[in-house]
Amino acid sequence: MNRNLFTFRKSLASRVIFSTVLLSLGVVWLTGSALYSQLSDGVKQVNLETSLAEARSTFFNAQYEFLLVEGANTSIITETVQEIIISSTEVSLNQDRKSIFLSRFGPIADPLGDEIAPDYSTATDELDISSFPTELRQRVRASDLVEYKYATVKYKNREDADVLIAGRRIAIPESGNYEMYLVYSLTNQNTTLSLVKSSLFFTGLALLFLIGLITWLVVRQVVRPVREAARVAEQFTQGDFSQRMKVESFDEISTLGTAFNEMALSLESQITRLENLSRVQQRFVSDVSHELRTPLTTLRMASEVIHGAKGSFDPTIARSSELLVAQLDRFERLLEDLLEVSRFDAEVAVLEPVEFDLVRLIERCIEDVRANAQDHTISVQIDHETEQVMIKADIRRVERIMRNLLSNALDHADEKPIQVSVVATATEVGVGVRDFGPGMDPASLSRVFDRFWRADPSRARVRGGTGLGLSIALEDARLHNGELDAWGAIGHGAHFVLTLPIVAGSQISGRPIRPQPKDYPQSV
Amino acid sequence: MTLVMVVDDDQDLAEMLGIVLTGAGIDVDLVSRGDEALEVFRNNPPDLVLLDVMLPGLDGIEVCKLIRAESMVPIVMLSAKGDTHDVVRGLEAGADDYMVKPFRHPSELIARIRTRLRRTNADISGLLVIGDLSIDVTAHEVSRAGKKIALTRLEFDLLVALAKEPGRVFTRDALLGEVWGYRHSTDTRLVNVHVQRLRSKVEHDPEHPQIVMTVRGVGYKAGVLGGS
Repeated sequence: MNRNLFTFRKSLASRVIFSTVLLSLGVVWLTGSALYSQLSDGVKQVNLETSLAEARSTFFNAQYEFLLVEGANTSIITETVQEIIISSTEVSLNQDRKSIFLSRFGPIADPLGDEIAPDYSTATDELDISSFPTELRQRVRASDLVEYKYATVKYKNREDADVLIAGRRIAIPESGNYEMYLVYSLTNQNTTLSLVKSSLFFTGLALLFLIGLITWLVVRQVVRPVREAARVAEQFTQGDFSQRMKVESFDEISTLGTAFNEMALSLESQITRLENLSRVQQRFVSDVSHELRTPLTTLRMASEVIHGAKGSFDPTIARSSELLVAQLDRFERLLEDLLEVSRFDAEVAVLEPVEFDLVRLIERCIEDVRANAQDHTISVQIDHETEQVMIKADIRRVERIMRNLLSNALDHADEKPIQVSVVATATEVGVGVRDFGPGMDPASLSRVFDRFWRADPSRARVRGGTGLGLSIALEDARLHNGELDAWGAIGHGAHFVLTLPIVAGSQISGRPIRPQPKDYPQSV
Repeated sequence: MTLVMVVDDDQDLAEMLGIVLTGAGIDVDLVSRGDEALEVFRNNPPDLVLLDVMLPGLDGIEVCKLIRAESMVPIVMLSAKGDTHDVVRGLEAGADDYMVKPFRHPSELIARIRTRLRRTNADISGLLVIGDLSIDVTAHEVSRAGKKIALTRLEFDLLVALAKEPGRVFTRDALLGEVWGYRHSTDTRLVNVHVQRLRSKVEHDPEHPQIVMTVRGVGYKAGVLGGS
């Protein structure tokens, strides 16, 4: 039910068809009933006039016949009455049935001789006289004119019937005053009217159906291109830029189509241009990095050979060879990082997950980083709830993230100890690296993952970082579907939190370690 | 004297490699084109081949396949590309090890070469049995039911490493240290690819290995029960 309602609200076509049919229903109903009432009034009027005219002539004729037999003997009068009854009940072609009803009233005539005045009261067709409207009978008795009334009368051996009754006072010689009624059956009229009614009904129904059909056809003409446009736009959104609308005519819809296609063309060319541009650029970075590797290898080996023989050099040359080696190291790291960044940009970085113990890896990273650090006095404490945290991730990337976070912390630790914490849940693991150095202001915090960005340009580049470490770490974390958050406050140090799913690629549902450290006063 | 064939199109790098290797007491044969490599190799068989991936004339991967087709000599690929695809392609072509330019330390290259050249497992001698395979360590031969199976030196070393301690589960890291002489590498692709190659040679059904068994989540071990 709800779904139907939803479809209805969603479909312009069904809505338009529904309202059109509903409105047409009202119009058809109104015109239909007006037409019917006019038709039925007309039919009834004509019927009434015909019947009354016929009744008048019948009554007149009867009156005339009785006048002629005035003074005649009873048998002749009786014969006349019989004739009148027979002639009056004769039906014409379009009439259904006609009954007659005679009823004596008032003073009985005093006939000649000692005969009793005969009563000609009679009713044909087994008419049930009691069902006659008394109001009409009173009117007829009192009036000299033809009176009429529509009524429903009963027959003794037939169903009740709707009839038109016309009546007049008649005097029959040697008998008295009579009410004479002609009862016209309305069955024919009613049949005609119900026929009219049903044809009107079915015509209306057919009309409604046709209106619905026409509306559907018309709406379809409008809606179809709109739907088509929506479909094309959707495919466009999904990246299929080759989609175009069909333009087949010169109407407003085709104007929409043309405009849409122009937009699509312009978008497509823009996107292609940008794609080419970025592809060329990424390609260039990658090529440069690759091309640099071979000469760098030669340089590395040459410098190593020179460095190996530095004992025989004078002190300036010996020192120069040391600097050469160190700078080549740095150059190489920069090259590696650039290459990695270009891989991320080109979206060709591949995740190679294996299962390993994260705690052991972190401990190893800490050892390595501290061994390489010039300042060996900084202590690094690791705090983990469980002995072992097995995760499935790209060990090379996780190691790189940890090395980057640790060297970053060591760079900014100001000789204060660094705290590393590991907290694992069923679905994710958090690693926090906290230093208590000078910290960062919010502006720095927002840029801390930017490439080549340095918190304090005046600070010496002690560790010779490339400036790409944190940004690569962030990309590495995100490649795992993980996240890397940073927190910092001036004078309170910084806190970097890595959150990784236990199985690389699955979603993380929270942060086992919050970036804002527990030791930081909440109300600052 | 040990002879290493260096195939690299970069003249300066090749010369430098020559200097470094000569300094370490190794003779060097320099080749600058891929299509010349095989001829030089045949005329003067080296103890080890250092092979660049990108070469004029014939691709390094192809050269590797050709050499491997006729010799079990250790091959170390030199690649300017660290990408997985190239590394795996080189290993699958038959290379024993690879080094990505620029090398962290030239001494690392020397160490790597020495590991590959070392007369393996000099401490063990005699006969080892793993499944239905018998390994003659001294003669450097592996046979099943009297039929010899040709293995590269690295594959032989890998098999011996597993066979000499049956039942012990080797992690990939441990194998990297034992067979390749790595101390800190985490590149377990080396192990995976070579285990696949070894299995394709020694297993009855490489899909259901009986000789080199996988221990899920840990590493590999030698099959204790007899094969089939």
